[in-house]
Amino acid sequence: MNADRPQNDARRVVVSGLGMVTPLGVGKEDFSRRLFAGDTAIRGIQSFDTGDFSSHLGAEVTEFKPRDFIAVKNLRRMDKISLMTVASARMALEDAGLQITAENRDRVGIILGTAFGATDITVQFLHTLSQEGPASVNPILVPNTVMNAPAGHTSIELGFRGINTTITHFAVSAENAMAYAAAEIRRGTADFIFAGGSDILSEIAYRSLIGFGALSPQNKGNETCRPFDQERNGCIAGEGCGMILLESLQSAKQRGCNYYCEISGAGMGASPTRPNEWPRDTEGIKRTFARAVKNAGIAINDLQAIYAGANGDKILDAVEAEAYAEIFDAGKCPFITSIKGATGESFSSGGIRACAAALSMANQILPPTAGLANPLRALDFVIQEKKEADIHHAALAGISFGGTYCYLIFSKS
Amino acid sequence: MGTLNAIAHNIPDFSPALKNGHCGIREIDIFDTSGFSARTGGQIKNFVARNYIPQNFSMKRMSRADLLSFAATLEALHDAGLYPFPEELQKGTGVSIGGGAGGLLEAESFYGDFLKNNGRRARFSRLASLFCASSADRIASAFDLAGPKATFMTACSGGATAIGYARDLIAGGQASVVIAGGVEPMCRLTYAAFNALKSVAADTCRPFDKNRDGLSLGEAAAIVILEELDSALARGARIHGEILGYGITCDSYHMTAPDEQASGAVRSMEAALRDSGLSPDDIDYINAHGTATPVNDAMETKAIKNVFGKRAYTIPVSSTKSMHAHTLGAAGALEAIVSILALRNGFVPPTINHQERDPQCDLDYVTSGARSANLKTALSNSFAFGGNNTTLIFGKYTERSACHER
Repeated sequence: MNADRPQNDARRVVVSGLGMVTPLGVGKEDFSRRLFAGDTAIRGIQSFDTGDFSSHLGAEVTEFKPRDFIAVKNLRRMDKISLMTVASARMALEDAGLQITAENRDRVGIILGTAFGATDITVQFLHTLSQEGPASVNPILVPNTVMNAPAGHTSIELGFRGINTTITHFAVSAENAMAYAAAEIRRGTADFIFAGGSDILSEIAYRSLIGFGALSPQNKGNETCRPFDQERNGCIAGEGCGMILLESLQSAKQRGCNYYCEISGAGMGASPTRPNEWPRDTEGIKRTFARAVKNAGIAINDLQAIYAGANGDKILDAVEAEAYAEIFDAGKCPFITSIKGATGESFSSGGIRACAAALSMANQILPPTAGLANPLRALDFVIQEKKEADIHHAALAGISFGGTYCYLIFSKS
Repeated sequence: MGTLNAIAHNIPDFSPALKNGHCGIREIDIFDTSGFSARTGGQIKNFVARNYIPQNFSMKRMSRADLLSFAATLEALHDAGLYPFPEELQKGTGVSIGGGAGGLLEAESFYGDFLKNNGRRARFSRLASLFCASSADRIASAFDLAGPKATFMTACSGGATAIGYARDLIAGGQASVVIAGGVEPMCRLTYAAFNALKSVAADTCRPFDKNRDGLSLGEAAAIVILEELDSALARGARIHGEILGYGITCDSYHMTAPDEQASGAVRSMEAALRDSGLSPDDIDYINAHGTATPVNDAMETKAIKNVFGKRAYTIPVSSTKSMHAHTLGAAGALEAIVSILALRNGFVPPTINHQERDPQCDLDYVTSGARSANLKTALSNSFAFGGNNTTLIFGKYTERSACHER
């Protein structure tokens, strides 16, 4: 985002609509109710046989009925990731009370983050190619093998024609997308932008994550997701889409729209890390965090909450907690919560977590960190139950393996 | 700047190859083409990574895409006077890459073995570079960079978007230097996909020709170093050109076919003009998307006429894909380099392979060889599947243009 948080309403960015298809429910009512109740969607994988795998749990989207959101004649063109994305965008649109018209459609856009894209379709395509040869591949599958398909389908379904792009940068895909979208609203190149993240839990992705040692149980113990817990032993794979609709504060006021919160700043950065490994240093987090806070025009101690990236991984959670312990003076650390014990880790989880953050800011309630019992450090984690709190400013953490970071600052204006 | 593509393995060779109209579209041998309807493409022949990447950099588990982009980055860093990478710039340097097939070429062989053993004993570490974000991570890691990183995946416009976004990172204060560009490796999956869509030319790519019958697939890495002007001047760097603006729009029409009404393309060029503060009269050269599919070239011609009116007939328009083929995720970045070379070296690159005029395509496509011309601005189009359009505008760098304020 541009340097310094502007005071001009036309250049301040607000979240005015939410849409989500998550393992914890479809739509903000279900999602919100279960999230703040401390429920978890983690259970045995249903959609494929995990028979002789070393992991068996996942957070799958099970209650999603694409027909509720997409015309039947268009359903067959889309695969799961596109269906979830289109549905989430439609929910965000309706939530914001926005109509797309011939007058505004060229100023409405989408910036989507996806960590892995349509791994199911790509493997299906690859399978036909390797088993039956190039003459047998299905041309209808082709567009959906490309990562920009979900955003493309969304623009066609909803009928908007402004900025449209797809970012894929592992576990910061969605945070990067939202930061870019906020910057574009600030810059005035679009009036409304859908931004978020979408990923699916396919068998090949699951097996690859096991192959890379990413999933619980990393230590051959009990399979479970325990963000920030002393007993944590890996993440649980999840899936889903979370989409926020961004517009300027001026636009929301003119429309008389109730918005959730403001995105007041963003910071992006990196630290030297081996490919596919979680960072082991706190420097990258600290530098990026500082950049975001400065961009928002606030001070470190203005923050009341952190929506963390921790997913139960041995290294990630320790590094993230250590960074916050270093950033904040003892006793001054904001509340910290991670929802990945409830939703699983979809890697473009930033979209779903931004929806959770917006609901949290609007209702002044923090969701609990499901799965956390014995914190690895003495920080103010939200444990067991939701917590009411005055939250004026909060940070959403995006931390990726490979050493990439993106922090967003959410503010109650 | 740095590049590897079908007609040149570095920038010094690229400019004369473009001027002389070299064609890099030939029989490919990177994989077995039996069973495919086409056999040609713009392959980077004789690429031996170690000839480009010094011994002190590990190449372990790097995909062809990683290696190509890394090699092009090394050339660009040398060219920019940033090698070895200065420590004081590491914190503020980011990486923004337009990705494509990533490590799919390697994943194809993994998948064959995976099926043979029903997934048992599969070495998933072979997939370490499968995803296209890997290339940016490799670059940042090798030079200890701590600025923002992002990878764009919008098929054929990703490379252009990555460069536009990099400009924003610098203008917005998130970075002072960005290594930006695109990379696309050839692989069977991409080749099969375009064959299945019947959009590949039988023999070669003939942009804007009456008998054009499709695109030729290619591969490339194309990297530019974007930097704040003051920082570049302070370092005494050789400045090749200036990025004046960019625009992104969406067709919202069809996943693989362009909107024949050309609305998305028109709005993309208009958005870039608006962003750069220029009028259509200011544009001296158009580097067309020009894939040589029947629909694209007619649509793009219509779009150019719509934006530039009568002046459309007097602006040279060329598709250099006739030489280096369509390099998908790298195309926008490769053609950005073409545009900058045209500005810096004072020439209009030709459209080769053009034989017969199409009444629907009646602009000046520079079909009889390169021309000398003192160009001040160049506009480069990239239109992609999914209806993702990006237009970049570059300006010739002069001290006077340094005063240009957006």
